[in-house]
Amino acid sequence: MAESEIAPKFAPFIGMAGICFAMTFGCVGAAYGTAKSGIGIAGVGTFRPDLIMKSLIPVVMSGIIAVYALVIAVLIASDIGPPPAQNYSLFNGFMHLACGLSVGLTGLAAGYSIGIVGDMGVRSYMQQSRIFVGMVLILIFGEVLGLYGLIVALILNTKSKG
Amino acid sequence: MTTRRIVSEKTVLERDDKDFAPKAGEKSNITPAVPAHVIYKLLGFTFAMIVAPIGTYFLSVDTIFGGNTTWAGASAAIMANVVLFGFIIVAFQEDQSDALEAEWKEKESKKTT
Repeated sequence: MAESEIAPKFAPFIGMAGICFAMTFGCVGAAYGTAKSGIGIAGVGTFRPDLIMKSLIPVVMSGIIAVYALVIAVLIASDIGPPPAQNYSLFNGFMHLACGLSVGLTGLAAGYSIGIVGDMGVRSYMQQSRIFVGMVLILIFGEVLGLYGLIVALILNTKSKG
Repeated sequence: MTTRRIVSEKTVLERDDKDFAPKAGEKSNITPAVPAHVIYKLLGFTFAMIVAPIGTYFLSVDTIFGGNTTWAGASAAIMANVVLFGFIIVAFQEDQSDALEAEWKEKESKKTT
């Protein structure tokens, strides 16, 4: 494959960077959310072990952030191929970088908010059971931030065909 | 005087095995602290969280969506949220069943007294 102006040799590098950013930033957010809310659950569990099952919700939500990042990383990876078979353009490279960054950084933001709300929410829930519905709503709104990043990344990804 | 310590009490590290052994004629309590059905639920959700989204993606990408990866990715994200809402519903019911059980036990104890 001859190097052309629209498909230079370094284009796959930028696309791969998109995969890497999606996975690392998304997992940093998910890890922070899991760890921070895990601290809160450990604090609650020593006093009210019966509340552990309901307190695990922020941990499950952090897991979903990582699933979003995983989905986008798999999507991008399925579009990248070695040069003789596929002419990977620079546009695709930048687009995949944008996909990865949008899902990764929104995942980081969502994981951060889930961690803080999860930690404080379960501790408050231990003392006042009516907090639960509010806590779940706030957690859902925090997680929706990651979902927006996923939607933008999915829409961007449709541009690679054609 | 502050250096004086009570030496009659042993710390955990100083105790022997026989200090932890149950007294004669008394069985040690080995009932699991977490009931089995809760563990099965948690294991099930863990398994679903790992398998459901990525499994949906790879199963549906060629069969249902005909190679359109965008829809397959969206369906994977939807499956992850389905697992989440399943967990929230189960956690909610768990709490109610605990409350009902406590109520039932209270009634029973009132009957016996």
